[in-house]
Amino acid sequence: MALDPAVDLLPALLDSPFREGYVSSIVYVSLYVSVIAVSLSTLVSVPVAIVMGFVDFRGKQFVKSVINTGMGFPSVVVGLLVLFAVSNQGPLGSLELIFTKEAMIMSQFVLATPPITAISLAAVTGVEGNVRDAARVLGGTRLDVALVVIKEARYGIATAVLAGFGRAISEVGSVLIVGGNITSSDGISKTRTLTTAVQLEARQGRYETAMVLGAVLVAIVLLVNAVVVRLGDTGGMGR
Amino acid sequence: MIRLSNVSHTYGDGPVLEDLSMSVDPGEVLAIIGPSGVGKTTLLRVLALFVRPSSGTTELDGRAVWSVGESERLALRRRIGMVFQEASLFDASVVRNVEYGLRVRESWRERLRSQFRSVLGSNGTSEAVEEALEVVDLDDSLEQDADSLSGGEAQRVSFARALAYDPKYLMLDEPTSDLDPRNTGLIEDAIGTARERGIGVVVATHDMHQAERIADRVGVLLGDGFSEIGPTERVFEDPTDDRTRKFISGELVY
Ligand SMILES: Nc1ncnc2c1ncn2[C@@H]1O[C@H](COP(=O)(O)OP(=O)(O)OP(=O)(O)O)[C@@H](O)[C@H]1O
Ligand SMILES: [Mg+2]
Repeated sequence: MALDPAVDLLPALLDSPFREGYVSSIVYVSLYVSVIAVSLSTLVSVPVAIVMGFVDFRGKQFVKSVINTGMGFPSVVVGLLVLFAVSNQGPLGSLELIFTKEAMIMSQFVLATPPITAISLAAVTGVEGNVRDAARVLGGTRLDVALVVIKEARYGIATAVLAGFGRAISEVGSVLIVGGNITSSDGISKTRTLTTAVQLEARQGRYETAMVLGAVLVAIVLLVNAVVVRLGDTGGMGR
Repeated sequence: MIRLSNVSHTYGDGPVLEDLSMSVDPGEVLAIIGPSGVGKTTLLRVLALFVRPSSGTTELDGRAVWSVGESERLALRRRIGMVFQEASLFDASVVRNVEYGLRVRESWRERLRSQFRSVLGSNGTSEAVEEALEVVDLDDSLEQDADSLSGGEAQRVSFARALAYDPKYLMLDEPTSDLDPRNTGLIEDAIGTARERGIGVVVATHDMHQAERIADRVGVLLGDGFSEIGPTERVFEDPTDDRTRKFISGELVY
């Protein structure tokens, strides 16, 4: 039967070594951190991509190389920098963000923004000049033209956001450093994400647990992918 | 009236238009003919207030377009429609395309409201949109995706899109160059309708017979300016300029 593997997994999910709420709290933390970080990244990235796609300004090449460098920037280093920023001696020390979800959101934001910007920029520059011109000649303001470009590039931008989300939710290094992989005394995750949990469980030899958490992670990534592909299909991806 | 006075334009290497003066009146059809690469598209873009010429003045209804402020220029631009030579429809339905010019003229409040209504699926098609699509005989393809249209249909939607917001002037850049006789006929009829409505139409074309069929006046663009511009019959029957005569008779090949 096709359902068998899932049925086999269910007891594993309910049994020890999982305490009640353990897995769901980890999933919650992972999604919470990644979704907020990626949303904030999107709010920054898309306008930046639009401006870079439209306007010629001095230092544009520099901004581009910053973005490209950012795409390959080691996540542990980002984690380290954010850790320094939120530590007691750091500039944000007074906010007491160390080992919190907020600190994790900060580092995920830094990591997700470059790929979202780069892919959005490619999508925005891919919009035909004719289509922009049409929006303008039909009486559009600059804002109207920008909105048309966003609309035309919508699948590319959705792909960008997806890629950013994929990077954020699968990332281990920085969330481990700034979040600390903490659970509260009742075993509920505070800053433990799917990735850091998998890493911990595997190191402690609880492979079954690690596999289940890994499967949940894969399922989330696949689900998000499927949604975007579906969006593309019904919206006419035929270009 | 749109009036160009001593307009020159260059893209960097050599002038495309030089010291060109002309005007377009409401309710007339002016055909621009001339060889490929001579600057027909450039001239139409200048007339559509889309391109600021390197020098010279562009006036619309008595206002010097490039001397006024941004917001007044927007208002002036909105009296003009243009259909580009290349396909430029938005990746959306036919209705969405045709209503675009109307939408951008609405207040943000109205725009949000109609956006909301269309999400609920209760957005009626405005009369202006239906009328514009009737003019090009496409009033039964409202919900079709623009990228599934044939070339001729796409060109007709582009025409309707420029007509829907009731412009005073309409620039058409080779609107029938890739079309079959039926689509060409539909576009030519639509040009006639626009003219009857008092719209001043400027149409760039390669097809001299078309110019003869539809135009009140013809401008012959050779070199970097008009070799001749005047009433259609006069220009074709009795051109005063030697190059014009050669171009019309097909002797002058570029
Ligand atoms: N954006 C541009 N940048 C640089 N050169 C341009 C640009 N647009 C047009 N040109 C040049 O200006 C000249 C006139 O071009 P234009 O498109 O106005 O000609 P046209 O008469 O419309 O030609 P066709 O009949 O082939 O459409 C050409 O030599 C062209 O290469
Ligand atoms: Mg042209």
